Amino acid sequence: MKKVKNSKTGISKILAAAIVAIVAVAAIGGVWYYTTLETEEKVLKIFCAGSLTLPFEDIEAQFEADNPTVDVQLEPGGSVTRVQKITEHGEECDVLASADYSLIPSMMMTEDSDYTDWYIIFAVNRMTLAYTDNSKYADEITADNWYEILRRSDVKWGFSDPNMDPCGYRSPMVIQLAEQEYGDDMIFEDLIEANCDITVSEDAGTYIIDSNLTDLNPDTNRLAIREKSVDLVSMVQEGGLDYAFEYSSVAKQHDLNYLELPVTIDLSSADYADLYKTVKVEKTTTTSTGKPIVYGLTIPNNSPNPELAAEFVEYIINESGQTVFNNNGQPPVIPAVTNDISKIPENLKTYVVQ
Amino acid sequence: MATKKALTGVKRHSLSLIFLFVGSLLILFTMLTLFNMIFRQLVFDTGGLLEAAADPEVIESIVLTLYCSFLATLIGAILGTPLAYVLARHDFLGKTVVESVIDLPVVIPHSVAGIALYALFMSRSPVGGAFSSIGVVFEDSMWGIVVAMLFVSTPFYVNAAREGFQSINPRLERVARTLGASHWKSFYKITLPLTVRHLFSGAVMAWARGISEFGAVVIIAYYPMIAPVLIFHKYTTHGLAGSQPIAVLLILICIGVFILLRVSSKYWEKKK
Repeated sequence: MKKVKNSKTGISKILAAAIVAIVAVAAIGGVWYYTTLETEEKVLKIFCAGSLTLPFEDIEAQFEADNPTVDVQLEPGGSVTRVQKITEHGEECDVLASADYSLIPSMMMTEDSDYTDWYIIFAVNRMTLAYTDNSKYADEITADNWYEILRRSDVKWGFSDPNMDPCGYRSPMVIQLAEQEYGDDMIFEDLIEANCDITVSEDAGTYIIDSNLTDLNPDTNRLAIREKSVDLVSMVQEGGLDYAFEYSSVAKQHDLNYLELPVTIDLSSADYADLYKTVKVEKTTTTSTGKPIVYGLTIPNNSPNPELAAEFVEYIINESGQTVFNNNGQPPVIPAVTNDISKIPENLKTYVVQ
Repeated sequence: MATKKALTGVKRHSLSLIFLFVGSLLILFTMLTLFNMIFRQLVFDTGGLLEAAADPEVIESIVLTLYCSFLATLIGAILGTPLAYVLARHDFLGKTVVESVIDLPVVIPHSVAGIALYALFMSRSPVGGAFSSIGVVFEDSMWGIVVAMLFVSTPFYVNAAREGFQSINPRLERVARTLGASHWKSFYKITLPLTVRHLFSGAVMAWARGISEFGAVVIIAYYPMIAPVLIFHKYTTHGLAGSQPIAVLLILICIGVFILLRVSSKYWEKKK
């Protein structure tokens, strides 16, 4: 505080009092605003995979426009931790949407952990190679020659840390699967083993990729490994990298070009589940087996608002929901598929097959 | 500023007591948060802490963190001291703008800062290209860590140094010059010794800020892993049990260094 002259004391006192009053009103008013905001509306809590955040925000906006008294709250995060919040921490949620539908039967539909008896498969994601018009050889790259282009010594590319990010362990899987698809058994060696400390070994038709290392030691001139695949998006946009392995959803949501890889290697189709599972990645914690990236959802038994939740799910799987997922690079499954049509809420039955 | 009006004993007492109580809440908040973690680690999982301390990967990463932040602070001090002096001594058009620019790194989200630094220093950019032609590469290297730490820690040093220079009456310098000292000599003999404490504490703050940086570093240099990145890596892969020992170890080492620095600067003061 500055010392003020006596003649001005009156004015500065009023000024100081006014400032204190404004600050107090702002502070208390803010608390009041935010607390009443939550209590006046009905809250619909949605746990969703991080990669579903953008499409779910679109659906949230539509749903809230039609239901002004409902406040949809998304809590995005890793799919496994979302499920654990329900099964281990006992948290209540109205809709659970996982990036791996099989987590629902394996973690929520067992005798010990009985939180639901149905799930709906509603969309898929695919592994792609993302790039911009300025990426080197962007005008030449196709689904037939991408691995040749990544081999070129002046091309820089990246994927995320297999130990940190599911997109990261799926990237070497795609590269290993490519060897069979293109009939070239040097692809993994040239792209991965030559540029970092990740290795692969074969055991009776199964390929075990070893990334059980904290420091994967990438050759910075060729390859960048980052904590999460979104970091690579910025690097590709800045031109520091030419190509990065990304989900089609991430590439599309960030306005990158992306190469659609053959369905036999892009982990998008349940039809090729047997082929995908021939590759495994050993991480610092567990081993991940190749699986199709298929999104599933359910309404857990402990949902505080099951009817409202069923209405929200309808917005996900109806025609406008399908458009949203298409726009976000996550092709919808049409019609959506369920494990048991007799168990799902009545209003969803017209959209779903068993 | 303190008023010269003498307070009665009771009044002074009640003021101090209430201020002491209110102020200690803030200290308690900081201490409880940290000591709770450290205490639980020391008491319930001493083994985990020892294991972390014996892990070369962990020690390497902590040493790398301390060293990179030291380098960043050194560069910040060499470039920032003249800047702080100019800001303290001269008024010029656009000074407010310059002062705001210095503070900007504090408000920019760190991941955004990281992307901006990457765009400037990647080996394919003009600036990064020029550096890489002399063998300095920033992507996934120590230099990337240093620039990120420099970027976020600069405001702490420059502001502390500027306040230090402002606290010295320019008349002292003028007197020295009327006695025949050059500008350089009056700066070196009068100003610098009187502000060294400010410069030192600014440097300690900048160094500490550098050590704690995660968001900007992880974009430009995920490898080699500095301690905050390694802690996050272990948290993601091994949960709290895997990351907390490293965090506690880092805190303990930093507290040790801080106390050492503060004590030695106090001792230094007294000797003068």
